[in-house]
Amino acid sequence: MTAQIIQLALNALAAGCIYAVVALSVEIAYESTGVVNFAAGQLVTAGALIGLSAVAFTKANFLPAYLLVLVGMSLIGIVFLIFVYLPLRRQSVLTIVIGTVGIGIFIQNVMLLTWGPLPKSVRSPMGGGALKFGDVSVSLHVLYVIAVAAVLIVAMYMLLYRSSVGRQFRAMAQDPEAATLMGIRVKALYAFNWILVCVLSGIAGLLFAPMWLVDVTSGDNLGLKAFAAIMIGGFGSVPGAILGGVIVGAIEIFGAFYISSNFKDALVFASMFLFLLVRPQGIFGERIADRA
Amino acid sequence: MRHAPLIGALLAIAAALVAPRLLSEFNLRLATLSLHTSIAVIGLCIAFGWTGLLHLGQAAFIGIGAYATAILSTRLGLGFWTTMPVALVASGLVALCIAVPMLRLRGHYLALAVLGFNVTFEIVARNWTKLTGGFDGITDIPPVHLFGLVINDDRGYYYLSLGFAILCALFALALRHSRYGRAMIAIRDDELAAGTSSISVTRMKVLAFVIASMLAGLSGALYAHHATFIAPQDFEFAKSVTILVMLILGGEISVAGAILGTVIITFLPEWLRFLGDYYQAVFGLLVLVILIVMPNGIVGKVKQLWPMLTGRKTHV
Repeated sequence: MTAQIIQLALNALAAGCIYAVVALSVEIAYESTGVVNFAAGQLVTAGALIGLSAVAFTKANFLPAYLLVLVGMSLIGIVFLIFVYLPLRRQSVLTIVIGTVGIGIFIQNVMLLTWGPLPKSVRSPMGGGALKFGDVSVSLHVLYVIAVAAVLIVAMYMLLYRSSVGRQFRAMAQDPEAATLMGIRVKALYAFNWILVCVLSGIAGLLFAPMWLVDVTSGDNLGLKAFAAIMIGGFGSVPGAILGGVIVGAIEIFGAFYISSNFKDALVFASMFLFLLVRPQGIFGERIADRA
Repeated sequence: MRHAPLIGALLAIAAALVAPRLLSEFNLRLATLSLHTSIAVIGLCIAFGWTGLLHLGQAAFIGIGAYATAILSTRLGLGFWTTMPVALVASGLVALCIAVPMLRLRGHYLALAVLGFNVTFEIVARNWTKLTGGFDGITDIPPVHLFGLVINDDRGYYYLSLGFAILCALFALALRHSRYGRAMIAIRDDELAAGTSSISVTRMKVLAFVIASMLAGLSGALYAHHATFIAPQDFEFAKSVTILVMLILGGEISVAGAILGTVIITFLPEWLRFLGDYYQAVFGLLVLVILIVMPNGIVGKVKQLWPMLTGRKTHV
């Protein structure tokens, strides 16, 4: 009984960590440009599928394969910048948000044409092994996911709150023109922002792929969970995105086990909705005031 | 040409009245589909185009209307004129429950909450098999009776949908020129300023959202009877995106644009059939192209180019 709960909790933590990484990616785009990136889910799928092909291409040599994925995701980030953000930058934020929906549809269907509709299984760099502690058996992949996500989260926290890049991001978000006048290279920062967004989503894709079968729509669900995580944690808050991710993971895994696996995603959204009724600003609230 | 919009509307209605004689059976079906879908798009025009609410869940509200009328008419044998108002009220009530807490928050919360709602709706429709028939959906939805006539072919549904679409368009135009419509536009342009001009921002947003969802419910009721068969995938999130694209293609603030955009996007897969599997990818690119090339849609572009076409200067 206890062993089962510990096992479920670890799985929930691993799933939550992945949601947190996606949520971080959405959060970074939001913090620096005010845009809610609706293509997050498709970017996660892109990471997973490019990873699948890269691992096959390098004959299961994971390090170079994953580097290839990072390069691929950076290229997608540049595409995002050139074809979505820069042409729409002068229009309302809502227009850019719809633009991300459009590029999401495009990316998803290009993936459908490239990889086909069938679900694929993806290997983990940790192999399929598991560690046993008494009755508790934990797959190595789950531990690896938690470790990688933890490193990423700390790195992103340092970048956003302990480096000048983070300050520049926020300056750019509040007023791009004033930021330019202060000598911030806004164009380069935009490019860095979208590359970072895509790379983070792509890493989330690499992390989740070995846990479930992957097809071109699997990322959509992760994108949605990341949105739920952000709403629970509070828009504009990095700790909120992380805590929200873990909460969503817990609701999903425990809900699927104890209540109903068919309705697990509905449970996540219902909880999100109830949560917002009680605490509309999310756990950590919104840091930046409304951009009037 | 001060009366150009009126003349255009009358010409469009005249063309719509004779169209069934000219269209093939398949195209008539698509035309009917575009007419009742346009009602939901007009709804989105009110919520998104005028009030600025990014409402990415119209498909779920169409679904509520469709399931409400389908369940009542197949289980209880009620007629369309009883089930349709129920469908309207049901989608309006659900919208109200979502809107009241969400609309106090900033815009993106509504967008994401409605997105979550759309996905939840799909899950419930797929898994609550007793009520919704699950994956198999609901079949044999009975025809609509009107003044002793049984409407059971595409031509009948075409005229029924045309009638409802015209009514909804007139309703939307009347709303637009009322103080409610003006308040909605003011909120979209500047929420802060609207609030200080004694407009109750939250109440107006709730109103716009509920009207939009009720129109979607009506659209769904017509859809269910016309199709005679509904299933969860008819109301998935991708449908909501398509509905948004219909609106932005036509012109997000224009009722005429909403209808025009709906007709074009409904027929587009037919016209672009040669693209085969590439259609969806092209559709995604099309969204970007519309946003970049004509951010105010076809109607906005026409308005912008009208003085050049007629060689006259318009007064600003």
